[in-house]
Amino acid sequence: MVRFLARRVLNYVVMLFLATSLTYFLASFFMDPRSNYLARNPRPPMASINASLTAANINDQTPLLERYWTWLTNIVLHWNWGLSPTQEPVAGAIATRIGASVQLVTLATVLGIVIGVGLGVHTAIRQYQWQDRVFGGISTFFLVVPTAVLALFVVIGAIYLNKALGFRLFYVTGLHSYDGNNWLLKLSDLGQHLILPTIVLTVITAVTYHLTQRTYLLDTMNADYVRTARAKGLPLNVAIRKHALRTSLIPTTVMVAFSIAGVFTGAVITETMFAINGLGKYFITTLVQNDINGSVAIAAFGGACTLVGALAADVAVSWLDPRVRIS
Amino acid sequence: MANSELVVTAATAAEVVADEQGGGLRRTGRFALIARRFARRRSAVAGLVLLALLILFAVFGPMIGQWRFDEPDFLALAQAPSAEHWFGTTTGGSDVFALVARGLGRSLLIGILSSVAITFVAALIGTTIAFFEGWVERVGMWILDMLLVIPSFLLIAMITRSASGTGGWLTLTLALTAFGWIGYARVLRTLTLSLRELDYVHAARYMGVRSFTIIRRHLVPNLGSVLIIQTVLGVVGAVNSETALSFLGLGVKAPDTSLGTILQAGQSVVLTSPWVLIAPSVFLVALTYSMQLIGDGLRDAIDPYSRSGGKA
Repeated sequence: MVRFLARRVLNYVVMLFLATSLTYFLASFFMDPRSNYLARNPRPPMASINASLTAANINDQTPLLERYWTWLTNIVLHWNWGLSPTQEPVAGAIATRIGASVQLVTLATVLGIVIGVGLGVHTAIRQYQWQDRVFGGISTFFLVVPTAVLALFVVIGAIYLNKALGFRLFYVTGLHSYDGNNWLLKLSDLGQHLILPTIVLTVITAVTYHLTQRTYLLDTMNADYVRTARAKGLPLNVAIRKHALRTSLIPTTVMVAFSIAGVFTGAVITETMFAINGLGKYFITTLVQNDINGSVAIAAFGGACTLVGALAADVAVSWLDPRVRIS
Repeated sequence: MANSELVVTAATAAEVVADEQGGGLRRTGRFALIARRFARRRSAVAGLVLLALLILFAVFGPMIGQWRFDEPDFLALAQAPSAEHWFGTTTGGSDVFALVARGLGRSLLIGILSSVAITFVAALIGTTIAFFEGWVERVGMWILDMLLVIPSFLLIAMITRSASGTGGWLTLTLALTAFGWIGYARVLRTLTLSLRELDYVHAARYMGVRSFTIIRRHLVPNLGSVLIIQTVLGVVGAVNSETALSFLGLGVKAPDTSLGTILQAGQSVVLTSPWVLIAPSVFLVALTYSMQLIGDGLRDAIDPYSRSGGKA
């Protein structure tokens, strides 16, 4: 097991290194930090533009390979992810945003998985009955509604509700607005801010898991070993619980593990809508500011999350699936 | 109902004619069967009708409207819907009806083109990796996994931001294709694993048929139903990505427009002029929902084990 994991980790590290390098070259090719300065009025002198760009190691007059080497050695030797065009360290900026993202997505992800998988199992057992049709229809609808539209209508609804109530029950922007020390007020403040984005994120997550879990369970319910168990006299519910459900959870587990990266970078729209300063919003900022180092660092973080998820999936599947034998 | 059934059979007939190696009675029978099963599902037919209406609107909408999408009416800023401006105007005086007609066309074009291109690339690479087995397969899978490590949304946004003007939609389509095929190719490779063990594939191989010919003649057509369904459902994904990027200001940008771009404009005036937001939202949801209904209907019609549509 240890040897298996060690080999996997080594493989993943090589993958992450190549993927991040690829992103670095793509970002250097498509982003033009010089334009930040050229667009200013009055335009700063060329020498000072070059000095700022060189200080952040994003000067397009330095050969790309030289810049790449500087960037790489800084990370490997000093864990220094470089500077933004405004000379702000990228690593620190990301660290604070991860905190906001975690607060935003944790509850929504857990709720989404629990509700989604639960609904999937519920409707698969009742295939083509009214529950399946009703929930299936609702989920299909929400599956295709773009996040931007969903978030916008949630905001409109909340604003009308606030007006109807006469006081501000829901906040539609930010994560905090209370500054005092009373933890009860602090908690309720966080709740008032979090509830709307949590609803949006939960709906998006849950409908995907509902529809896929339903399909997986239906696939395994028709499998030979479940039919054999039924033929030997096992009641349907027990057969599903003991045989079908366990196998059908394997692909879902893989999906959950691989969604870890999406948890951080996938909430871009929601964060923009609700003005939450998380990683998704930071990513947009880096793009707009032509911040090469910043966007590569976010991509690397997303990649690292994906690989941690992949590793978790390897372990979880070997535990869930009796057919997988490692070591 | 009868009319849409006609559309289905016409489409099927065209498909049969287009399929050069088809011919004979059996093949026609299969497609007619699928068409009949598809037509029996009310939701699928509704989706098809809805899509047809949307396409008609995108094609003829700009002609029947009184304003052009890039011709603001400075005498009517942020006006509610009226006889002059059917869907109202934005704060900049642009006619929302004209914007939506143009934006719907753009979203449709981007969605359909990139979905077809993604299916094509994914089918080619997925089957090729599986067909050659051995080290080609191992290296190919490793590269696919490596490419999957980076969140593709980031790379697409990075590339489309550098594009500008009315050609931006093409860059967006290319970027969506360039990073959209990877996960899908992985799935198709898994499906090909059992196909490559089929007797006639082995036979063709030992008779010295060129590898590419085997892939094109025997492997890809065998994935046909999966490919068709995924292309239809892929449109939903592509339209959603396009909307998200444009909404963030990273996709289609002014002077051109798409549904996501209009949503972005509407976002800031949610309370004062909600019509800027509601019109594109309704059309966007109608577009994606119709595609989903058609895809679900196709899946049920093609799946031989389906029990939902009654008897064949």
